[in-house]
Amino acid sequence: MKIKKILIANRGEIAIRIMKTARLMKISTVAIKTALEPNAMYLSFADEIFDNSEDVSEIPVFLDIEKLIAIALNTGADAVHPGYGFLAENAYFADKCIDNKIIFIGPSPDAIYKMGNKTIARKLAMKNGIPMAMGSEGNISNEEEAVAIASKIGYPVIVKAASGGGGRGMRIIRKAEEMERMFIIASKEAEKAFNDPSVFIEKYIENPKHIEFQILGDTHGNVIHLGERECSIQRKHQKLLEEAPSCALDEKLREVMGKMAVQIAKEVNYHSAGTVEFLLDSDKNFYFMEMNTRIQVEHPVTEIITGIDLIEQQILIANGEKLKYRQEDIKLKGWAIECRINAEDVQSGFAPAPGKIENLSMPSDPYVRIDTGIQSGSVIVANFDSMIAKLIVKGKDRRDAIKNCKMALDKVWIRGTKTTLPFFRLLVRNDKFQNGTFTTAFIENDLDKYYFNSEYEEILAAWLATKLFVEENLKEDSINVDFENGKEMSPWLMNKRVNQF
Amino acid sequence: MLNDKLGIKKLYALSSEKRKFSFSLPLKHKIKIGKRNYEIKLKTDEKYGTYILWKNRKYPVEVVRSRQNKYEILFNDISYTFSVETPFSLQRMKVLSSSKGKTEQEFVKAPMPGKIIDVLVREGSNVLRGEPVVILEAMKMQNEIQSPVNGKVVKVAAKANNNVMKDDLLVEIKVD
Repeated sequence: MKIKKILIANRGEIAIRIMKTARLMKISTVAIKTALEPNAMYLSFADEIFDNSEDVSEIPVFLDIEKLIAIALNTGADAVHPGYGFLAENAYFADKCIDNKIIFIGPSPDAIYKMGNKTIARKLAMKNGIPMAMGSEGNISNEEEAVAIASKIGYPVIVKAASGGGGRGMRIIRKAEEMERMFIIASKEAEKAFNDPSVFIEKYIENPKHIEFQILGDTHGNVIHLGERECSIQRKHQKLLEEAPSCALDEKLREVMGKMAVQIAKEVNYHSAGTVEFLLDSDKNFYFMEMNTRIQVEHPVTEIITGIDLIEQQILIANGEKLKYRQEDIKLKGWAIECRINAEDVQSGFAPAPGKIENLSMPSDPYVRIDTGIQSGSVIVANFDSMIAKLIVKGKDRRDAIKNCKMALDKVWIRGTKTTLPFFRLLVRNDKFQNGTFTTAFIENDLDKYYFNSEYEEILAAWLATKLFVEENLKEDSINVDFENGKEMSPWLMNKRVNQF
Repeated sequence: MLNDKLGIKKLYALSSEKRKFSFSLPLKHKIKIGKRNYEIKLKTDEKYGTYILWKNRKYPVEVVRSRQNKYEILFNDISYTFSVETPFSLQRMKVLSSSKGKTEQEFVKAPMPGKIIDVLVREGSNVLRGEPVVILEAMKMQNEIQSPVNGKVVKVAAKANNNVMKDDLLVEIKVD
């Protein structure tokens, strides 16, 4: 093994995820301690900690290319794993690593660049005959052109930032009279968010399913796929629940789409783990959307149904080794579902709810896997994402996985902040989710509330309010009640949330 | 006992969605389903904090705030707001609401701390339920704060570019 020490250029659960595999491979790891999270859980998984907590600059260290390179050189790390987010899809960072003789655990800068630029990616897909939603050939230069192209394609259309991704920088336009204004807004937004005002237009596929294929490629030209994941449960293009495989695909369609995914990966000499995203319409037509050149948040569901450790594969590939799997070796077994438990308030439209996690306990049943970077006492800081944990559940089939998921959800215990748990409790009971006919419009169109509570939960809450009233206003009565129940009573000094940001 | 002297035999918890739950006094630590009574246990310990144990299941509870007879309770990750009324205050409420008609005000508050990006309504604007009234940026996400009711805006407290704390008043709406 050339790789002996990996610098983890990330935090939270993915940092831990990478370090766990590195440990199994007997590779040592370096984690970075920051001022924002000096006591973060991920630090305890590292063999070595680089203390950067004195650094109070505005840019997080995980986005600071020069600094990361310096840390890698300083600690003698011979490889860097970027995780997801931050610099994971930054071609310049990958290039800088190579310049400094540090192995970047990910694809080549060229592949990152080509797939990161949606216009180039579209051209490459077109060249390979991969189906795509009708759209502009390249970037749109002005609003007149936008109006002309949109009317040729037919409304609704979607305007996307060429350098965007992860659901950011997109706008759906349904009427011609909105086009001019929305084009200008989209272009300005793209410039602000991605430093690149270029946008392009595509036909908007109504109510599709989001299907993505996991790819593995080595540096010897071998590329395979590990089946699909369905990520249709999303809100404002942010995924909330993912599963593998998808009930919308049969063996034949899986083979066709998988081949296309492999083909586009080969076009850019892709190596490492990557994801090719498609939209699938109700007539089972599929359209190439984009390729993500990183490990993804939802990678565990693929690991569960294939039995392959994707981080291990990334490291082996980065080490120059040949893939030991051929396509025919990949067998999908069982079903896996991932729920993203985020610090969000589902009663206020999924608004972020940062705060201190007072206590947390997770189920430990054999059908559950928990990927988390949060423990009791951790603080969900507003500067980073709102993820608390990924609850990953397996079953022998989809029905079994949903059943297990339902049980596991009731065993998760998180105090200190509101979470997306009540949303998942609703989802696992929803007919449309159970029968698999949901699309990316599900949350917007098919739900009238975003949380589940049993009728007794509200009664119990009402009882509690009444109890408080009795204690505060009818003192003698409360003494009476107290006496009856003696030691069960608690003083009404509940822990107030300490950290309000 | 005091409640005997006052003659209060029942209390009502009214939810913000106007559901009414009645409890007889003295308050029992039980809830009846069908013919069976199920005991409610309220406990606090180091590991779980304060919780209710009911039918062999633990539910986390927290009193988020209380003011006079109003209580916001977080129960198993869901917030509930109740006003607890005696038979007298309930009667008074009924009389008041029937004589005055509906003049309810809705206070749209910031659901989280953040920065106001845009205010989309003015005093006197008519709004529909679900219509965005303010854009609030928090955790780098822009959030549309929507009107929970149909009505007319009577006060706009939010100003673009201002920072707000959680629960700061944004817009006051007179409900239609």
